[in-house]
Amino acid sequence: MKFFFHVGKYFKLLARVFGRPEKHKMYVRQLFHEIDSLGVNSVWIVIIISVFIGGIMTIQFAYSMSNPIYPHTLVGLGTRDTLILEFSSTILALIMAGKIGSNITSEIGTMRVTEQIDSLEIMGVNSASYLILPKIVAVVFIFPFLFIISVFFGLLGGLVTGSIAGVITIPHYIDGIQWLFYPYYVTFSLIKSVVFGFIVASVPAYYGYYVQGGALEVGTASTKAVVNTNILILLFDLILTRLLLT
Amino acid sequence: MIEVKNIYKSFEETTVLTDVSTRFEPGITNLIIGRSGSGKTVLLKSILGLYEIDQGEIWYDDRNLVEMPEKERKLMRREVGMVFQGGALFDSLSVAANVKFPLDMFTAMTSKEKQKRVEFCLDHVNIETQAFQLFPSEISGGMQKRVAIARAIALNPKYLFCDEPNSGLDPETATVIDKLIQSLTKEFNMTTIINTHDMNSVIEIGESVLFISKGEVCWQGTNKDILHTKNEKLNDFIFANKLYAQMRKEQS
Ligand SMILES: Nc1ncnc2c1ncn2[C@@H]1O[C@H](COP(=O)(O)OP(=O)(O)OP(=O)(O)O)[C@@H](O)[C@H]1O
Ligand SMILES: [Mg+2]
Repeated sequence: MKFFFHVGKYFKLLARVFGRPEKHKMYVRQLFHEIDSLGVNSVWIVIIISVFIGGIMTIQFAYSMSNPIYPHTLVGLGTRDTLILEFSSTILALIMAGKIGSNITSEIGTMRVTEQIDSLEIMGVNSASYLILPKIVAVVFIFPFLFIISVFFGLLGGLVTGSIAGVITIPHYIDGIQWLFYPYYVTFSLIKSVVFGFIVASVPAYYGYYVQGGALEVGTASTKAVVNTNILILLFDLILTRLLLT
Repeated sequence: MIEVKNIYKSFEETTVLTDVSTRFEPGITNLIIGRSGSGKTVLLKSILGLYEIDQGEIWYDDRNLVEMPEKERKLMRREVGMVFQGGALFDSLSVAANVKFPLDMFTAMTSKEKQKRVEFCLDHVNIETQAFQLFPSEISGGMQKRVAIARAIALNPKYLFCDEPNSGLDPETATVIDKLIQSLTKEFNMTTIINTHDMNSVIEIGESVLFISKGEVCWQGTNKDILHTKNEKLNDFIFANKLYAQMRKEQS
């Protein structure tokens, strides 16, 4: 029962979020601010994580396929497809839920408990739209870029690590990442990124917007928001994979 | 002028306001007093329309808020300024940007005009130019309250609401804030409603005082007659403070 209550309240909030904005200029200003604070600030962590995971995957693939009956191209292919299909879209979204999501909940939640949201409402501003819409648009916009950055640096990490560790030569690896490449996989994952971006921004915003109490409750709400965002991401990963890939 | 007629408000099981009726006149400071939990904030937020009341009427001059569609309410709120219990300044904006926010949002002023208005408002609450670019976390509580007042009057409101504007401040600063609100009220002839449980404020600026207890109007009058009332509940409230008990003894 409680689940349906939250779903209903969430969609009601979304209806307000997509209501008519008071002044476009103010929204555009907020949007640029959010792209900067939520997106650009995440690029470094995405690069670091992707380089390491790409490198580790390459070593592991090379190790488990060291038997000469496997073609040398399998290592590159494995790394590439894992990055494109799962890691850079889904796993990255889970990580970003922890970073961006908790940030959104605590920011909006703090504004709620310190009456800043009431203050906006009193002025006659649609607070839901003013606070949440720029965040959703910003995250949905940057997620596909983060995906591309992640795939690129993951592959690069594999290349560098693989050759330094001496498990695969650079030409073999490059052969591999070009072998049996289906561009549709990229399209599929870009669609996933957009959906996950929407979830990562809107679900934590919902938890923040309806916080009641004080600083302690804001903390609890952040944790809840991240957990539920993660569950939803995995659920939608399953649904989208079933719908679009098989 | 704001007039409320027989308003009731409850949250699920708990009734907070019962049959509250009163009038708040422009140009004077109207105080709502009562102990913590008596329903002052709920009354204020109900008058503002942040809470839907269960029953009753709320008149802003000749307009009844209860019957107003949401669109009109939004427009009317632009005539309202509010100072929240904690200040509620936007943490991500500087002092000047906080005051400028309503101007950005609702006016077609040029940036020069806005700048002028921001300076005018901040000057009225005695904030020096050096503090304009500081953030709320970098200024004292008293200053935050003053900036909140400046933001509240930025759009030249007809109605000003203050929820415990001087809570958490030392007595001297509290008096400064009280006097400031009073002088602004007179200067701009606003209808000002102030929530407080501070007896000093009552004595200093209580031109009209409404005492509520457990969500009911218990007494209404001015600071001139409040110390001589026979109302028992009010006396308990006032003379919880030993100093006022002493004053009363000496007077009689
Ligand atoms: N949103 C709400 N939901 C349920 N009950 C509420 C809500 N807001 C206030 N109340 C209840 O209404 C009563 C009055 O609260 P209110 O905040 O108006 O008190 P107050 O007079 O402003 O107190 P204080 O001086 O401490 O600010 C309290 O018992 C409180 O529990
Ligand atoms: Mg209160």
